[in-house]
Amino acid sequence: MKTFLYNKTRHQSERWHKQRGFTLLEVMVALTITSLVLGSIFTLAAGSKRLAVSTQESVRDSAAIRARINLALLDNQFRELQFPQDMEDGDFEIQAGERPEDPIRRTEPLRDLLEFYEITYPAQEAPLTGTRWVRLELPE
Amino acid sequence: MKHQQQSGFTLIEIIIALSLTAMLLTMLTAGLYGVVRDWDDDASALDDSMDLAVTVLQLERALLGAFPHSYRDQETLAREVYFKGEEDSLAWVSEVSPGRQGSRTAWQLINDSEGVLVFLTPAMSDNPDERLASVEPRLLFPGYTIRFEYLYEDLEFERLWRDSWPGAEVNNLPLAVHVHLTPDDEAANEAINIIAAIPANRHRAIRPNLELIQ
Repeated sequence: MKTFLYNKTRHQSERWHKQRGFTLLEVMVALTITSLVLGSIFTLAAGSKRLAVSTQESVRDSAAIRARINLALLDNQFRELQFPQDMEDGDFEIQAGERPEDPIRRTEPLRDLLEFYEITYPAQEAPLTGTRWVRLELPE
Repeated sequence: MKHQQQSGFTLIEIIIALSLTAMLLTMLTAGLYGVVRDWDDDASALDDSMDLAVTVLQLERALLGAFPHSYRDQETLAREVYFKGEEDSLAWVSEVSPGRQGSRTAWQLINDSEGVLVFLTPAMSDNPDERLASVEPRLLFPGYTIRFEYLYEDLEFERLWRDSWPGAEVNNLPLAVHVHLTPDDEAANEAINIIAAIPANRHRAIRPNLELIQ
């Protein structure tokens, strides 16, 4: 019994001698794979964080733009609109544009007409456009 | 002899290996914990800002759907239009209210230490003040202070803003309401502006007293 045990252990110890640990190459490969996997996980998390922040910003911006659009709709020609305090910051500009072409069947002069308007603000390159009702001094 | 030398790891080796593993695991767990907490923070901040955006939209729609609700004053027996606009509070009746399809609802917004409170109650044919006083308020904008401005047209057709609107005396609604929300913590949040035009600003029978606000 004892010799058997001895023999077995010696046999094992010989095998150990051959494969006593990982080689440097193996360790490096394992570390590289681990770091790649971890790195991609962290990149994903960072990407989602950036997305969350930019979403918050655009949600806030869209609320501000809504207020400006409503202001532009209130601001009619020949009806001077006083801008509320703290909204005359000059970042947003509301400009009156042209009027759309008259319909062919228009028969009489009208005071209330449609007009295009444009809102420009620094963060956006293309201006926002829309139409609004204007009331003229004299019918046209 | 050889068997005794290589029978296993020594205690020192095991301790070193275990402590190294423990250190690595601790660092990994700490890193992961940070990432997960960050993720949760972002998600809840995003939820909050979405909630805020939806609330702002709902308030805008409720102001847009403001209705010249009238009631009979029990003392003077005159019909008065309900719209109590102050600089820091506003009570009005709206046709557009979340969760109350088609029925008119009295709204009241006031400032509180925690933020802006809203009172909502169905509007009957009487003065909604009493019913507003008996409902539980809800916190609408936590951490914000609210301020109102009301748009009117003067005799030269200039459109000007004023900071109060006594609907019972004027018997008319303003052309538009400007709601300004100032955050208590200026660094974390930005101010919010809401502009809502009120298309239905005249009662069909009651004559407005516009001289009072000129």
